[in-house]
Formats: sequence, structure tokens, C-alpha cells
Amino acid sequence: MSVAVESGNPAVRIRTRAQFSTRSVVLVLTTGIVSYLVLVPLIMLLYASVKSTEDKLPFESTATTLGNYVAVFTSPATLPIFLNTFIFTIGSLAVGLPTAILLAWLLERTATPTRAWIANLILVPMTIPSLLSAIAWIQLLDPRIGLVNVILRGVMGSDSDTGPFDIYTLTGMCFVQGMRLVPSAYLMIAASFRAMDPSLEEQSAMAGQNTARTTLRITLPIMRPALLAALIYFIIVVIESFDIPGLLGFTARIRVLSTAIYWATHSEVGLPDYGLASALGAIILFAALILMWIYWRLTLHQERFATITGKGYRPRQINLGPWTVPAALFCWIYVFVVVLLPFVMLLWTSIQPFYAPPSAESLRRATLEGYLNIWHDGSIVRALSNTLVLALATSAATILLAVLVSWFVVRQPRTGGSIANYLATVSFLPQCVPSIVIGLALIFVYVRFPIPIYGTLWIIALAMTTRYLAFSSRATTASLIQVHGELEEASQMAGAPWLRTLRRITMPLLAPAMINVFFWVAVHAMQELSMALMLYTPDTVMISTMIWSMWQNGRTADAAVLGVVLILLSALLLLGAQAVVSRRSARLS
Amino acid sequence: MIRVQNLEKTFAGAKGDVRALCGVSFEVRKGELFTLLGPSGCGKTTTLRCIAGLEQPVRGEISIDDRTMYSAAKGIFIPPEKRRIGMVFQSYAIWPHLTVFQNVAYPLAGQDRVADRVMAILERLTLAHLADRLAPNLSGGQQQRVALARALVAQPEVLLLDEPLSNLDAKLREQMRSELRSVQESFQITTVYVTHDQEEALALSDCVGLMHEGALLELGEPRDLYLQPARRMTAAFLGAANFIAATVERHRETAGEALTVTTPLGVFAARASKEWEPSLPAELFFRPEYVDVIDNDSIQEGTNYGTGTVERVTFLGNSADVLIRSGELLIKARVHPSRLPAVHKKIKFFVAPDHCTVFPANGGG
Repeated sequence: MSVAVESGNPAVRIRTRAQFSTRSVVLVLTTGIVSYLVLVPLIMLLYASVKSTEDKLPFESTATTLGNYVAVFTSPATLPIFLNTFIFTIGSLAVGLPTAILLAWLLERTATPTRAWIANLILVPMTIPSLLSAIAWIQLLDPRIGLVNVILRGVMGSDSDTGPFDIYTLTGMCFVQGMRLVPSAYLMIAASFRAMDPSLEEQSAMAGQNTARTTLRITLPIMRPALLAALIYFIIVVIESFDIPGLLGFTARIRVLSTAIYWATHSEVGLPDYGLASALGAIILFAALILMWIYWRLTLHQERFATITGKGYRPRQINLGPWTVPAALFCWIYVFVVVLLPFVMLLWTSIQPFYAPPSAESLRRATLEGYLNIWHDGSIVRALSNTLVLALATSAATILLAVLVSWFVVRQPRTGGSIANYLATVSFLPQCVPSIVIGLALIFVYVRFPIPIYGTLWIIALAMTTRYLAFSSRATTASLIQVHGELEEASQMAGAPWLRTLRRITMPLLAPAMINVFFWVAVHAMQELSMALMLYTPDTVMISTMIWSMWQNGRTADAAVLGVVLILLSALLLLGAQAVVSRRSARLS
Repeated sequence: MIRVQNLEKTFAGAKGDVRALCGVSFEVRKGELFTLLGPSGCGKTTTLRCIAGLEQPVRGEISIDDRTMYSAAKGIFIPPEKRRIGMVFQSYAIWPHLTVFQNVAYPLAGQDRVADRVMAILERLTLAHLADRLAPNLSGGQQQRVALARALVAQPEVLLLDEPLSNLDAKLREQMRSELRSVQESFQITTVYVTHDQEEALALSDCVGLMHEGALLELGEPRDLYLQPARRMTAAFLGAANFIAATVERHRETAGEALTVTTPLGVFAARASKEWEPSLPAELFFRPEYVDVIDNDSIQEGTNYGTGTVERVTFLGNSADVLIRSGELLIKARVHPSRLPAVHKKIKFFVAPDHCTVFPANGGG
């Protein structure tokens, strides 16, 4: 029975008075900070894109114009960018996704031997920054000095100085980016293979269909929504990616949207063109927003498909028969070529005074001097300390914001539903704002606004906090949902005010998720290139930007040394995270 | 003492506001155990949470020992942490990252003699040996006692219990029920208890309030409520019941007075219900436990006797349910297991006038 309630009752007045408290102050602050972080840069970007800017910053110009957009879509200089982006995206996905699907199927659904080992090894490249995978692949596939090319030329007895492979092409970029996608795509697809109800397949087997027909007619169609969602998700990832097209496309002068924004503002000749950059930024932003909306729609209705039942049994393992050995061989070749070889190559380069393919002669030149010398270079030491400070500051700020956002999103809906919705939406928005666009937008904001952080570490920290807020708040929200509300209410009934409940009960219970998110953000912040590249100055140089400029200046060996240091630092952080989490859980059990 | 007056609460639903409480009023005397009983969704937990301050009503007033906790008219809302109320949640809500001692000490933050007071209550509830245990390593019954210790340690004026026994298995439930009652009596603490279990409510309470669709249907001592319900709905909700259409002979009777009714079973002497409104069409009510099945032919007939054939016998161990068909009517009876009648046999039965109540038909609700 529901009875209409007249409005204007006295209770409405009470509500506002009674809840003017620490909690409402924190809510207002959180909402304010999140809105400022996310919305202000986007508004500035759109504003800048409709201002004509001939050699000027957007705000110095007064005329409002669509000229930047017209120029982007008509200029012969920019049109190839769209075509390149299109080919690069399709090509990378065509390489990466089928590989990931095949690996996921082999490792999840078939009895391929040693699959547990392979499944772990596949994930290793996730800890390596894509900037360094690009460098490593160049060492392997550079048309002149690439190891693979040198060996192949030897085998084939070719007299040519170059070939047969050339990594500085769109094909090369697609290959490297595609391989880069495999670990995360594998994780996503393997998860949906694992979640599939085996009785759906068993039903087909009972109906007299063989394994191949069952796979094609039942398994794949059932997984279609999951695969489609993964496809959309990775389209966004490729469109946003900067490191690989930045590095490979630099030599070949092949530009995609993300790198075009960078070169528009960091032109080798002439002044920065902020109008062009912001129009490109707005276009890439809209594309990402639309794709993210599609992704959201797809995943929203995914539960309609009966793939995920949560029942305890594992799907049947298919026996490959005569294909068992080839399948295992395929997996191990993948692991060797895509996982191990690039890393070994990076190590090799780092112990050479100048780059040379492995040979008896170059082995004699091997030296650890590079690792010792970096400590004498003041700018490298500065980059190391900058990077660590930035990683920790960003993680701390992000996790604090994320916890507050998710508390209000999860616990507040009863009394403040619309604020909760607003917070959830705005904090998720940065997920579809490419890093390079955040970097660009922040230039506009802080050149314009009288907050003197332009050129400091804090502007980079701000950019990264904005970017990583989406992932972090989603992760903490997911685990706060698991924390029974009565645990917090029990603290209230025990006389604890809101802030004490948050500190003594909620946060300790969220600790595992918070620790994971903290280290996730720290590692990503350390490895991040595009935001840092847009916003750094000589004083605020990062390890990643340093590797980038070393590469541009041909200091390959130094770049490799610094790259290995960066990978070790990341690995150390990840191990630290694991140690903290397992010590906690050991204490609790 | 707790006083709840005209409490109203609405929740925002998908199609506008849904009224969860419509004008609930009751008083709980000092030291009394008051139970809110009703099916899920009847508003009993919402009422409890309003007293706790975890929900804010839209209208009405709540006071504890003359201290106003909530008043729509006066614009008062005391937040839960300032109400000095102990509460045991349905999930127990034991904090898993703290030990038993730390859980129980939590409400005493910033007070004196914390260790002494915590150990005293742990000993009272035979938990002292578990003081350093982490919460996940406790059994259900132990968790329940920790929750109780935590609710009582700060010596609150009021104790609220939200279905505290529903997560325990049947045997443990009975044991904890009597322990709960003995703790409540020894602390002399005013208690509001919420449950959907009738047996629990009747066994534990000084006073039971029966709730239905956001309203308090009837309240009273367990015995009265069960044996002499004022309203037909109470009779139907609590335990099993027989209702038989009846006609009142005279119609000037007042509430509680003896009267005679004619039913298809025969003539019955009974008592008018406590909220009797004069009415010719009426309903005769009696509980199956008070149907005396007479399994022999010789006995006399007359007022308060009926006849029928045994339709079905269900053996329940400590008792048996007998379904008796009498013409169109089916009468439920509960008999001692040693006195099972044979199926299809013609029998007589008797219901004492003291245990027959008459409700006005379509009136009294």
C-alpha cells in the first residue's frame, strides 16, 4: 500500500539542519574537488577549440570560430591522421584480439600441457611500460640493425643492408600495439570463458554435435556480448595509446590522433598550434565518449545472457588429441618471442656502451657502466626522485578521493540520491578522456588560472589523479558494496561520529582494496608518458619523459638502462603490494 | 521508557514515495522487553531503525526517558551516535579486523577503566577466554554474544535487537533465547526486540506489538494477544485458527460479554471480542489446541459440541493435526499424539466457551 505524501511537511526542514555535519562538509568538498578535476579541464578544452589562435594561447583571442574544426577536416596535413588512426586501430585489434582469444581458449578450455605456467608468463609484459616494449621491439625489428633482421639476412644470404622487416611502418605499429593488448585482453576473455555455464555446451554435446561444431555454434555465440564489449573497450585503448605510435611513428612520420596532438603543441619547427591541438583533442574525446557509452550499454545488458551463473563447477576441458603438441608449441613460441625476447633485448642493450646486435665481439664490450653512470647524472637523479614523489603523491590523493567518492556513491543514495549519481558519473568520466587530452586541457587551465602550479610536479600529479580516479573509485566502490552497511551502523550506535567510523571501521575494512589501488596507481603514474610529456619542464622531468628524450637524441643504451631501472622499480612496488596484502591476510586469519 | 507517537516514514521508490510506517504509536515501560512481531516488510525493522536514529521518520515523535530523540513538530533529530542506545544487528556486525576485546571496547572510547568494564561484561557473557580472538574465528552463538556485550558495555538506556536469533540453528536459538532473556532481566534494560518468529515473541516478551503493512495492529501481553485477540487479524496472524460464520442471537452485547451464536456446527456459547461492535452476522473463532476430539459414541450432545468425520491426520511428533470435515466446513484440531483418531471415522468435538471468541463479521478488521 502506498499513500501519496504531501510535500512541504516539517521534516524537510529538519533534514537540512540535522545533517549539517562533518559528513555534509566532506560531501561538498569531495563533490567540489571531483567536479573541478574532471569538468574544468574538459570545458577549457572545448572553449579553446572554438577560439581562433594564430600563434596565440586560446584566451588571448576573442573571436569564436569553428575554423579549427574546419581546418582539421579539410587540411591535407591532417586528413592522413584520421586514416592512420583508423588503420592503426583496426590493425592492432586484428593482431591482438584473435591472439588473445586463441590463447584464452587454449589455456582455459583445453587440456594444453603446462598451461598454468603459460598463463602466468603471458601477464608479465603488463609490468613493462609500453614505451619500453616499443624500444625493445625496435631493437628486434629495426630494418637495419634489428636482431631478427640481421639474423634473417644472414640465414637468407641477403646482401641488402635492410629488411626483410621494417618496424617503422603502420604494419609494424599495429604489430607492436597488438601484442601490447594481448595480456589485458587475455585476462578479460579468459574471465568470461571461465564464467560460462558448461551445461550449455553439454546440452549441445548431448544433441549429438561434435566439439568443433559446439565451439562454433554454441560457445562463441554465447560469448559474443563479452567479446563485443572487449572489442569496444580495446578500440578506446588503442585510440588513446600514445607511447607506441609516438615512438615508432616519430621515425616514420606516421601520425595518429594522439601523437598529432603532441606534435601540434611540441612542433619541431614553428610555434605550437593550440587551436589545432584542442580541435583534435575534442574529436578524440567525443569518439572515446561515444565508444564508452556503447561499451556501457553492452555491459549493462550482459547479465541477460546466461553465461555467468556463479555455480561452482569448472567448464569441461577439451582434449585436443593430435593437436595437443602444436597447441603447446604455439603457446611457448608466443611466450618466447613476445614475452621473453623483448625483455632480454632491453637488458642486452642496457649493458652495451652503444647499440650493437649480439655477437662475440659485442659481448666483449658488455659492461655495467651504464648502471653506475646514471647516478652521476644530476638530471637522472632528479627524474628518479621526481617520479617517486609523483607516484606516491598521486596514489595518496587518488585513493583518498576514491574512498570518499565511493562512500557517498554506495552509502548516500537513500538521502542524497542525485548527488550520489552525479558523483558516480563524473568520477567515471575520466575513463573516456585520453591521457594526452587531459595533459593538453591542463595546459589551458593553469596557464589561464592564477594558481601557480604550472611547471611544477603538482600539475602532473593533478592530471594523473584525474585520470586514475575513474579506475580507483570503481575499484573501491566494488569492494565497499561488499562491506555490510550494518558494520558501519554498529559503529554509529556505539557512539562514533561519522569521521571516526570512516577511519576506524570503513577504511580498515577496505584496506585490501585500498592497498591494491594505491600500488596500481603508483605503478601507472611511474610509467605514464603522455600526460608527463605534455606538462613537464626541465625541473619536473620524469623517468618516462627522460627515456623519451634520450630515445629522440639517439641515446639508446642510456634509455635502456633507465628503462630497466623503471621496470625494477615497478616490480619492487608490485612485490611490496603483494607482501603488504598477504601479511594483512595472514594476520586476519 | 520509550515513547513512540504517530510515527510515519516513507521511502523513495521507483514510482514515487512508498509509505513504510503509517502512524505507529506505543510505549515501552522501563525495564520491559517489548517485541515488534510481523512478517517481513511490515515495518518492524523500520520502526526499530527509527528509534535507533538510523532512519529519519517524516512525522511523529520519539522520546526516551523524556529526552526527545525525534520530533517533526519541534524540528529535533538526535543523530544515532548521541542517543546512548545499544543495538544488536541481524548480521551481528562484528568488526572482522578487531579482536573480541577491541570490538567490545569500541563504545568506551575515551572513557575510564575500559579494560575492567570490558572484561566484566565478557565474563558475564562467558566470553572472557575469547578476548584476543578475531571476530571471523567465532561461532555463530559466540558472535551473537559479542554483539550483545558490545551493545551493553556502555550501559545504554535502551537496547535494540534486530532479529538477533535468525542466523542461528534451531537448537542454539532456543538456548540463546533464554540467555538473552536472563541477561535482559539482570540488566533491567528497556528493550525493543524485532522478530518474525511468533514462538520467540511469545516466549520472550513482556509485551508484543503485532505489525502489519506499516501499522501496529494490536499490542498486549503474549497470553492475552494469543488467547483473547481483540481483532480478527491478530487471531489470523498468530498461530492457527478456525473461523466459522455465525449469527448472533441477541445483538446488544458489549465487548467481552458472554453471548450465544448459531453456526452450521450447532449452537455455541462464546464471548464477544474485546473490540466488539454489535452486529448480527459474526464469526466464531477458536484455536485448534482447544478443540477436544471425542473419539467415542456415547457422550452427550448440546451447546459447544460439533460432529464430523476425520478427513486427515498429520503426525508431528509431540502432537498431531487432525482435519475434521463437518458438512462444507473443515475444522482444524490439534491433539495429543497418544490420542490419534482413525481416518474417516465419525467423531464429536467440544470447544469450551472460554476459548470461543466472536468477532463481528466484516467489522473489527
